[in-house]
Amino acid sequence: MAGRVIVITSGKGGVGKTTTSANIGTALAKEGYKVVLIDTDLGLRNLDLLLGLENRIVYTIVDVIEERCKLKQALVKDKKNPNLSLLAAAQTRDKSAVNAEQLKEICDKLKEKNDFVLVDCPAGIEQGFQNAIAGASEAIVVTTPEMSAIRDADRIIGLLNTKEEITSTRLLLNRVRPNLIKNNEMMSVDDVVGILEIPLLGIIPEDTGIITSTNKGEPIVNDEHSLAGQAYRNIAKRTLGEEVPFLDLDEPKGIVAKIKNVFAKLKAKV
Amino acid sequence: MGLLTDFYNTVAKFFRPQEEIVDEASKSVATNRLKLVLMQDRTNLTPKILEQMRGELVDLLSKYLEMDKELLELNFEQEGDQVALMLSIPVIRAKDEEEIEKAIAEAAEKKAEEAVAEDEGSEEEETEETNEDSESENEDLEEEVAEAETVEESEVSEEIESVSEDMEVDANSEPVPTKTNSVKKVEKDLKESTKV
Repeated sequence: MAGRVIVITSGKGGVGKTTTSANIGTALAKEGYKVVLIDTDLGLRNLDLLLGLENRIVYTIVDVIEERCKLKQALVKDKKNPNLSLLAAAQTRDKSAVNAEQLKEICDKLKEKNDFVLVDCPAGIEQGFQNAIAGASEAIVVTTPEMSAIRDADRIIGLLNTKEEITSTRLLLNRVRPNLIKNNEMMSVDDVVGILEIPLLGIIPEDTGIITSTNKGEPIVNDEHSLAGQAYRNIAKRTLGEEVPFLDLDEPKGIVAKIKNVFAKLKAKV
Repeated sequence: MGLLTDFYNTVAKFFRPQEEIVDEASKSVATNRLKLVLMQDRTNLTPKILEQMRGELVDLLSKYLEMDKELLELNFEQEGDQVALMLSIPVIRAKDEEEIEKAIAEAAEKKAEEAVAEDEGSEEEETEETNEDSESENEDLEEEVAEAETVEESEVSEEIESVSEDMEVDANSEPVPTKTNSVKKVEKDLKESTKV
């Protein structure tokens, strides 16, 4: 079996890479696929917290690389879903503790026995980023409809484009607030896609449920009633090749408001 | 002045919000700022270079048109893989043939003077020195710009020159197909004229 290695990256910090990794990973595992999540954010690990696995980590990726344990020993199984496991980052080391080749080797080994290897990339474009993308053949770029996040995403997309091994780069637009978009106070999905010009994988609405789910260490995809959870489940399906329509966040009212806005502008000009 | 009426129609087509509209949605402010900054990120065209390019375009176009230099807008826009240079010039009036010839002659004279000054070596008048300085700077700029695989100024200038000439002859001069790959088109938005 040769699984798919997908890196989840963004450039800017705090846009939801780790939340996305945890949720897509969990959703894919729920669909019955074998998934490994790798946290490559050495020194600032968090994926374990989001999965509620922080107390179970014995070995980390650095232990594997420095051969203090077998790769299999370092994989922590998820509490609920045996299909999902985590390879945690070392908290006491920094990004220079591993190099790109070592990470690629780990990805290559893991994809032999898993359907998906999801690599949670650290923020930035330095060593940590280079390490994280080393073994990947696909990328998900996470961004929010904010200028700084989009600018950084654009930079990341440029870097990913120079790497031949990565054959697919798709966009995940996180923390979308339909209310603000309606009032023209936030860039719309179309605006962002128009600027970054990569295929859209999914849209996640801003959801306070993310906070409580993080508090509990329980990815929001497990909450059947959450809109963000639904959006992540859809993304997992699209990753599997299914065609799922994007969640309709714009109510008809949005169009009316837009037209009104146009008239308001015309009036101002006259 | 049918020429200007035609251009006025073009205005309506490409009308963009101006500064005096205070309640412009913050979203479009963000989109526009972002587009500009990304263009700079992607091409290494710094604001300084853009400003210089703008200045040279103003000089060139001044030969043919009387325009509101303060309101001239120079922007890049992305269309698919291609980048378009959008130039928006509020034209006050088109110059007549005589004036144009005079301006061209003046420019040629200036150029000749510069060439002479260069030949003569280091002892020039202050004004000539400035001219030479700015010219060598321009050469640097051209190299840099070409390196960034975007717009090579001289070609842009050619394009614009041809546009301007068209305007004299034919009022229907619309977006002009360009020879360069990077500059897809140079569109001219003509805004309100004071002497229609």
